[in-house]
Amino acid sequence: MEYIIYFALSIMAVALVFVAIRFIKGPTTGDRVIALDTLTTLGVSGIVLASYLFHRFIYLDVALVYGVLGFIGVIVIARYLEGAL
Amino acid sequence: MIFLITVLLILLLMVGAAIYAIVQKDLLFAVIASGVISLILSILFLILQAPDVALTEAAIGVALTTIIFIITIRNTVRYEDERNKKKKQKNVKKLAK
Repeated sequence: MEYIIYFALSIMAVALVFVAIRFIKGPTTGDRVIALDTLTTLGVSGIVLASYLFHRFIYLDVALVYGVLGFIGVIVIARYLEGAL
Repeated sequence: MIFLITVLLILLLMVGAAIYAIVQKDLLFAVIASGVISLILSILFLILQAPDVALTEAAIGVALTTIIFIITIRNTVRYEDERNKKKKQKNVKKLAK
């Protein structure tokens, strides 16, 4: 069972590299905002994996708060880019 | 092993985002980079076994800081050099008169 978690962590590391490349290279603002959003999703999945790995179920609360609040920042930036804030 | 590699990648990305936020002239990109820093800092607090601190960092760093900085950018200028350029143009006009 542990091997599945390590496999998921390695996939997450590869995805992290691609997101970092898009964040640094991305020519427009939209690319960087999408990179931030994807990074938030990766962070939530990483927190859940860490919760399983350390056998601490209180970590799931942090993932919950991150999932709820993580998209507010992206919404605010999108409204600013739209010119409607 | 793979856990250590992932943490190392996260740390490298955090340092890169911090340097990017300082160097960048476009303040909106700097705010996005500070959001990345806050996210990674929260994960690091979690790895250091402080979930309450991570919870507070998640609530403040993602939502509150981004909203306040975006409202500030909306009320001032987006690019760092813009205000200086306007001042210079005013000075040139004064000299021309």
